[in-house]
Amino acid sequence: MKVFLQLGWFFKQERKSYITGVILLLFVALLQVIPPKVIGVIADHINEGTMTKKLLMEWMAVLIVTGMLMYGLRFYWRIMIFGSSVKLSKILRDRLYHHFTNMSPAFYQKSRIGDLMAHATNDLSAIQQTAGAGVLTLVDSLSTGGFVIIAMAFTISWKLTLICLIPMPLMALLTSWFGTMLHKSFYKAQGAFSSLNDKTQESIMGIKVIKTFGQEKEDIEDFRKQSEDVVQKNIVVAKIDSLYDPTISILTGISFFLSIVFGAKYVLNGVLTIGELISFTTYLGLLIWPMLAFGWLFNIVERGRASYDRVTKLLSEKVDIQDQENARDVVPCGDIEYRLTSFTYPGETHPVLKDIQFSLERGETLGIVGKTGSGKTTLLKLFIREFEGYKGEILFGGSKIADYKLDQLRGAIGYVPQDHFLFSANVEENIAFANPAVKQAEIEKAAKLANIHDDILQFTHGYQTVVGERGVSLSGGQKQRISIARALLMNPEVLILDDSLSAVDAKTEEAILASLKQNRKGKTTIITSHRLSAIQHANQIIVLEEGTIIERGTHEELMELDGWYKNMYLHQQLEELVELGGQ
Amino acid sequence: MEEKIELSGSEQRKVLFRLLSYTKPHKKIISWAFLLLLLTTAGDIVLPILVAIFIDDYLQPGRLEFKPLLLLGSAYMGIQILKSILLFFQLVKFQEIALYIIQQLRIDVFSKVQALGLKYFDKTPGGSIVSRVTNDTEAIKDMFVTVISTFIQSGFLLIGIFITMFILNVKLALFCLIIIPILLFVMVLYRKWSSRFYLDMRERLSQLNAKLSESLQGMSIIQLFRQERRLRREFGSINEQHYNAGMKNIKIDGLLLRPAIDMIYILALIIVLSYFGITSFTHSIQIGVIYAFVNYLDRFFEPVNQMMMRLSLYQQAIVAGFRVFRLLDEEEIAPKQVGMPLEIAKGEIEFKNVSFSYDGKLDVLKNISFTAKPGETVALVGHTGSGKSSIINLMMRFYEFDRGEIIIDGRSIRDFSKDELREKMGLVLQDPFLFYGTVKDNIRLHNNSMTDQQVEEAAKFVQAHPFIDRLEDGYEHRVVERGAAFSSGQRQLIAFARTIAANPKILVLDEATANIDTETEEAIQTALAKMRKGRTTIAIAHRLSTIQDADCILVLHKGEIVERGTHQELLAQMGLYHKMYLLQNGIQSFLKVQ
Repeated sequence: MKVFLQLGWFFKQERKSYITGVILLLFVALLQVIPPKVIGVIADHINEGTMTKKLLMEWMAVLIVTGMLMYGLRFYWRIMIFGSSVKLSKILRDRLYHHFTNMSPAFYQKSRIGDLMAHATNDLSAIQQTAGAGVLTLVDSLSTGGFVIIAMAFTISWKLTLICLIPMPLMALLTSWFGTMLHKSFYKAQGAFSSLNDKTQESIMGIKVIKTFGQEKEDIEDFRKQSEDVVQKNIVVAKIDSLYDPTISILTGISFFLSIVFGAKYVLNGVLTIGELISFTTYLGLLIWPMLAFGWLFNIVERGRASYDRVTKLLSEKVDIQDQENARDVVPCGDIEYRLTSFTYPGETHPVLKDIQFSLERGETLGIVGKTGSGKTTLLKLFIREFEGYKGEILFGGSKIADYKLDQLRGAIGYVPQDHFLFSANVEENIAFANPAVKQAEIEKAAKLANIHDDILQFTHGYQTVVGERGVSLSGGQKQRISIARALLMNPEVLILDDSLSAVDAKTEEAILASLKQNRKGKTTIITSHRLSAIQHANQIIVLEEGTIIERGTHEELMELDGWYKNMYLHQQLEELVELGGQ
Repeated sequence: MEEKIELSGSEQRKVLFRLLSYTKPHKKIISWAFLLLLLTTAGDIVLPILVAIFIDDYLQPGRLEFKPLLLLGSAYMGIQILKSILLFFQLVKFQEIALYIIQQLRIDVFSKVQALGLKYFDKTPGGSIVSRVTNDTEAIKDMFVTVISTFIQSGFLLIGIFITMFILNVKLALFCLIIIPILLFVMVLYRKWSSRFYLDMRERLSQLNAKLSESLQGMSIIQLFRQERRLRREFGSINEQHYNAGMKNIKIDGLLLRPAIDMIYILALIIVLSYFGITSFTHSIQIGVIYAFVNYLDRFFEPVNQMMMRLSLYQQAIVAGFRVFRLLDEEEIAPKQVGMPLEIAKGEIEFKNVSFSYDGKLDVLKNISFTAKPGETVALVGHTGSGKSSIINLMMRFYEFDRGEIIIDGRSIRDFSKDELREKMGLVLQDPFLFYGTVKDNIRLHNNSMTDQQVEEAAKFVQAHPFIDRLEDGYEHRVVERGAAFSSGQRQLIAFARTIAANPKILVLDEATANIDTETEEAIQTALAKMRKGRTTIAIAHRLSTIQDADCILVLHKGEIVERGTHQELLAQMGLYHKMYLLQNGIQSFLKVQ
């Protein structure tokens, strides 16, 4: 029940709805007591021959009014209580999303997207259950149960009530126990189902191998075995699930039997009328639900608490990259200077960058080359403040980058990442990502600069073509160029191309580089690349190896050096020849 | 993202009947379940009658005879307990039937998937096929387990109650019939409204989850482009829409589900009580019958509630069923074999004027003709898109061709049985696919007759034994994540062993040496040479150095064979092959010259 306390803030916030809802529930519970009573009264009047038209009309009127009131009240408590619970999941979902947008890449590195999704879906629905069905079962089982028992004890016979209630707690106990067992076996069945899912996926991915070895029949047999396992585990679930109804049936049967046997004795003694006995047995029927609800309550609350704990834990994760106090609220511009002693990723022991010192004047182009894993991307990630905690400092326009507001710093940078991620939206929206209000002409200008405009016109719906996960599939080169256009649209002070020309051919690369040169006069550009042709014309080139600078200079200077750069340059020239078919 | 499917009434019925036809093989167990259902329903109906008899014959007249009362009492408890026990078995049986039906459906779908041609896999994303086999059938299971069994059980009880009411009092039972159209009206109304609002809510939920998942994947882009606030707004608005849809559902449920059914219950109660009240002015009434009617009314409405709550599941299951059946009816079947009792004894392969197109428009192969004599190696070289892989796809019968002919040992490739082709032709793919299981499982695949010794021999033959032996558990080492723990060369060696273990007559290598690492390169080269000995080999080679000793090299360009001959002959031609060779081998010499 602790979870109700934990959710206290929400109940307080929605106290109007909850208080109204609970009051309505109490009224419904009270009204529910009336129909059985009416049945008893009518039966007695008929039995004793005292029934009159007027009496009958009156009692029927009572029933009609009761029925209509209950209908209205039941409708409204649902809106109050269930409605609030839906609101709770909405609020928590928004909070989670907000929180996600604040978390830095370090957070995403250690958590899997699937898990985060599960928190936002399964856990939220369990919490919603608690705030809705949980509150309902708690209030309703207590109120309906309470009122019915009061009606039975005070208007009919308290002795008979006590006798008949004997099996009822057992019902609550058993159903709660079944609930726990059901949950466990259901979990196992889910596991079997998910292995079947994996098996299917594997077979479909490996369909060529299966066909090659003519293993279709055997694979189907394997599938049959696994699906049999699913069936067996589900039968266990079915068996537990099927225990509910018979258990309820036997226990209420006993209660019923006791009420008839002892009730009959009281009738003969004249303590009870037959009508009252009939009312009494009808009341017993009303007690089943509160008992079941009480059993369920524990299961709902237990799951809700676990889920709420997980969600709170997630929400309380610290936002690790934040603005400093008195951070400068201006867009930075000017020279860039790296004075890094070392940087180690959180949780790692080996530094990925060591002794990185260089300065880049405003308007210059810097080329960074080196093998995979040499630290090129990390170097850039520090500049865009995706990671912090390095030794040394990075200056931008004379101030440390951490002295600017994060938002302002990033406003100065147009970044094109290695993995060209596009959103499930149309091309136009993807390019105008940084500024959705921008004019069509601007979008096209950026697209032309990135050499993708002509491609886009070839798409079925031109700029309106939906791309991304759920859209048309584009080639890697097209995606890269759209990401470049996206960054260019900002016309940023610093443009960073993180190996983002890898999938375009040499000719296109040249065209893009040329248009950048023309259009970015006076603005800084940083390019990392595998292909040296992309950085050949940079004002400054640094060669990284194992996180440290091993060569630096212009293309000409580096060729003089006769080191890594020159070797790589010759190697790549040959590769290019091969690609062109030797012509 | 699934497409939206809207089905007409008759289409829905068709799907339902086809689903129900899956019950046929389970007639026997179904008859048992129905018998149990009949008995438990009978129990439900007899119990109130016993109480009615007690009230009318004993309690009211005050006749307390021990013996008949004991009999009545023990009958009551006896039936109650027996009924409850039977109820358990009945419930289990119905669920079991549903589970077995779904298992059969799953196996059918899976078998169908295995029988489909590779063309189908080209045009259908793997995820959606998996979804058909598992998730859609799961949705149908939910329908069978909850909807259909609830409908049958509730239907039985409702009919039983009405029959008994008619026996007890025809006139009153007739009055009670009024409830039926009212109930149906509410049900139809609910179905109409809820299906719309429920679908809307699910749609919003999937939008919400899609947005969330995409944002999580692209979070760094969102942050770098400072769009957090905008996306929060966008997410917030979808969240709000989802909330509104949720509220609408709560309202519909509140208007038409339990509160409405309870209202109808009160209405029925009024009918029954008024009837008895009015009749009592002129006739005497048996109190026991009042009791019985009231009791039946109590029992009558709970099943109705259950049925209504499950209607939305029905809708989903029908849509899922529709998708599953569409896959089952898919006609993109794998190429058929005539299957004469022929054996591939020599392994001679001939392509005669084969042309082929994947889409029926653009030919990817144009008039391909060549012969590979038994034991010879024919190598295919060319750029990406030159048609090398298509030749292998046709030879492996992954795709059907319609122009030209492929001849093996003098007979059309179509004449052989599928098993014979699979047994005698061994393909090694560029990306060796490893399955979940042990290394041993991955070598012998499902061929359980293969002994451990044979597995080991195969591994030794292809030089895979040393590294397997060094693994923890050796051949019993578990392959996880499709073999991510192995190097690509090691994976390839396991794939070699897998092929050699099957001892094929014809070896087909599809870029088998494209991604290997330096550590395993030597082992792979040695293995390949051994494997090719005595086998007709068709090899696609990325590295020309690996096929220099081929008996014939075919150089493909845009679907045509532009050059053919041995390595030396082709070099002498100074054509495309010569250039490709220079490019691959020139790097070192070029560097040396510099």
